[in-house]
Amino acid sequence: MSNTQEFKIGADLYSIPADRFYGRDNHMWASHDNITGNVTIGMDSLGLASLGDLAYVSLQPVGTKVTRGESLGTLEAAKMTGDLTSPISGEIVERNDLTVRNPALVNQETYTNGWLVVIKPSDWENESAQLVSVDELPAWVDSELTRYRQQGWID
Amino acid sequence: MELRLITQDNVTASFGLSADEVIGERVGTGASVPTLRLYTYKSHCGLVGRFQNIQNELRLDFCKENNITVNRRPTGGGAIIMGDGQLGLALMLPGHAEDTYSRARDLMLTLSEGIIKGLNELGVNAQFYNKNDILVNGRKIVGTGIHRAHSGSLLFHASTLVDLDIKLMLQVLNTPLEKISDKQVAAISERLTNVRRELGRDISVDEVRQAIARNYATTLGVELVAGTYTADELQAIEKVETEKYLSDEWIYQTSSVEDKFGGAKFKTPVGLLDIRVALAGETLKAAYIGGDFFAEESAVAEMEAALRWQSSQAEKVSAALAKVYQRREKDFNGLPLEAIQETMLKAIGNAQLVETRENANPYDPAA
Repeated sequence: MSNTQEFKIGADLYSIPADRFYGRDNHMWASHDNITGNVTIGMDSLGLASLGDLAYVSLQPVGTKVTRGESLGTLEAAKMTGDLTSPISGEIVERNDLTVRNPALVNQETYTNGWLVVIKPSDWENESAQLVSVDELPAWVDSELTRYRQQGWID
Repeated sequence: MELRLITQDNVTASFGLSADEVIGERVGTGASVPTLRLYTYKSHCGLVGRFQNIQNELRLDFCKENNITVNRRPTGGGAIIMGDGQLGLALMLPGHAEDTYSRARDLMLTLSEGIIKGLNELGVNAQFYNKNDILVNGRKIVGTGIHRAHSGSLLFHASTLVDLDIKLMLQVLNTPLEKISDKQVAAISERLTNVRRELGRDISVDEVRQAIARNYATTLGVELVAGTYTADELQAIEKVETEKYLSDEWIYQTSSVEDKFGGAKFKTPVGLLDIRVALAGETLKAAYIGGDFFAEESAVAEMEAALRWQSSQAEKVSAALAKVYQRREKDFNGLPLEAIQETMLKAIGNAQLVETRENANPYDPAA
């Protein structure tokens, strides 16, 4: 298994690191730290390719309890606003204020400095099983790209 | 499918925004039926986009002195003025969870189609442009925004300029202009238009409303059923109005994204180029390309529209400018593309150097 899964939309080449989990529908990534047990959350490049450049991001404060599928913040891109939904349940223990001040970081450094929050998970073992794992990654990326093409927003 | 049509006039900003949010959310859960609201606000109100810093976008002192209410939309985009000459539209449709982020770009086209076809039917040559603008020959006539509610449903907001008092708009929107001169009003009217101006007649807001409603029925393939709010909806709307849209916490909230303003000038062989930009962080809110060169105003306006709410990254800006230039090169009358690109990037660079709380958004009023 290579370290990244690459795909192309038009002339743009995207890569998805194979070292973390992905939300099947909400295009959020979740990276589990085996030492602390905490999970860093961000948006993945498939979701961002669909949304475009983020103009604004707001995030729930540290200490907020979030539930899988519920809002951990909101975003605006190309005049579309909506929720950032959490791929897992737990408590927000860290928030990336750099991305709140400069949302372009999410587009530019998607898997590194563009992270959004760190969550202390309440049920990682069960909830991570519902996320896209490394083994499923190539098939999931392919099916998402097919779906996007069928919906007509990429060639 | 049936689509409930609710028409209203003289609506307060707090009620109207609350109604859109509440019904939008309820449509997603099945508690309300899919709805199209076509309404006018009580003259006048100033509305900012979901995340904007209101004190940077609106002249709050002027608004207070002149009984102009201010509020914040749940949808994105820039600051606008609304009143009896601006037709508001809120389309609330159920969505699908798996579409949370996908299709964000082409949703705008699908949801805008009823307005475009409606205006076309009236004789206005409105066209969809650059993913989220509706223009007539380069001039903006409709502003749009989308909010995906927590329940998965979609709220599509649009404001159609049936008429517009540009001078009042400049007094309400916070611009860096010390004095509002005829020259500035003339410059804005080259970048904005309205239905009455395009048709050369005093068409009523209701006639525009009926044309747009008819065309939503056709483009969405639905049957329009005139209706009103249910008692449950009214109760929920009043609750959200009181708790949110009448609260300072919502209206006056601030964003951590810095508003920035900058400009640059360059002498080209065909005249002076004077470019000004307004940024929210790294997003271009507005760009104004002025000077004393001779170019077709609609081509310049189209170039400005191509940059609105786009990334200010150099390669993206240069590519957006080149795309318009290639299509309309002869309308620029020898003004070199490279000069526009370099001056634009310099203006952006200057804005990023000098961070200011002052807003400069005079040329994107109907965002």
